[in-house]
Amino acid sequence: MDEMRNNAPKLSEIKKENPFGTPDQYFDDFSARLHTRMAAEAQSSAPQKSRIFQLLKPALGLAASFAVVVMLVYVPLRLFMPKEINQVAQTSDTSDAGFLNIIEKIDEESFVALLNDTESEDEFTNDELALYVSANFSDYELYENLTNK
Amino acid sequence: MPDNDQHIIADLKDENKRNLAFHMLVKTYQERLYWHIRKIVLNHDDADDVLQNTFMKVWRNIDTFREESSLFTWLYRIATNESITFLNSKKRKSLLPLNEESEYLLENLASDPYFEGDKIQLKLQEAIVRLPEKQRLVFNMKYFDEMKYDDMAEILDTSVGALKASYHHAVKKVEEFLKNND
Repeated sequence: MDEMRNNAPKLSEIKKENPFGTPDQYFDDFSARLHTRMAAEAQSSAPQKSRIFQLLKPALGLAASFAVVVMLVYVPLRLFMPKEINQVAQTSDTSDAGFLNIIEKIDEESFVALLNDTESEDEFTNDELALYVSANFSDYELYENLTNK
Repeated sequence: MPDNDQHIIADLKDENKRNLAFHMLVKTYQERLYWHIRKIVLNHDDADDVLQNTFMKVWRNIDTFREESSLFTWLYRIATNESITFLNSKKRKSLLPLNEESEYLLENLASDPYFEGDKIQLKLQEAIVRLPEKQRLVFNMKYFDEMKYDDMAEILDTSVGALKASYHHAVKKVEEFLKNND
């Protein structure tokens, strides 16, 4: 105290008292007001969740009905149709792929030769033709064909 | 730690007794914390807001309370931090430059119908609000509340030596202001 009087004489002259006041019965009511505020904050934080749900409700309803429609259309299709569709797709895929594979495997010269061979097969010599006719037709059949004309 | 505090802490950890224990805690500490806050923010309405914020924070953070510090220092630390946060947010909202915080506080004090001090008390408050924040806290806690340096060190998370130095500087500045504005 003496130290204060020596170091700060002006300050030590001032009576050490609380210059602040409060409204009447402030401390008696404080606890009740605090609990009211706490209850209000607890309540306001709870409905926030339901408010978010309320906002999302139409979108959620739309999404749910879309899911139901998809289930009603897609699931039966998936159950009854897929085998045939898949088989057709697979067959065409396989035949195309196989044909392409064969073509790719043949080199250009062989391919031309093959084409030429095919053309030559259509041309018969007279001897071959006579042999074919005598082997497959009787004399009577040949006579009948000639007289019908 | 006082027996009453130990009782409150034990009951706060018990789910069934928590509400009643919190009510006890509020009743026990509301006045001491209010005066501590009031000396920082000066205005009654602001002090009331900050005191409510303080207890709300205490309620939300009861589980984080470690018994390494006393209940009293834990509550004072929360109240001090809430007061500083409150003043900083006011400063941001009113776009006040840093050095004009004291002007804002003085206006706040002058407009407060619950300031009951005389002219000399007003002048003392004027001197105190012009101190840097840390010195202001230390001066209020030591000069008015006569708090022990050890407790202050725990509340403000500062060494006892630094607190003594802060108080010494604060007293010199207040004395200087009183002399110059006589």
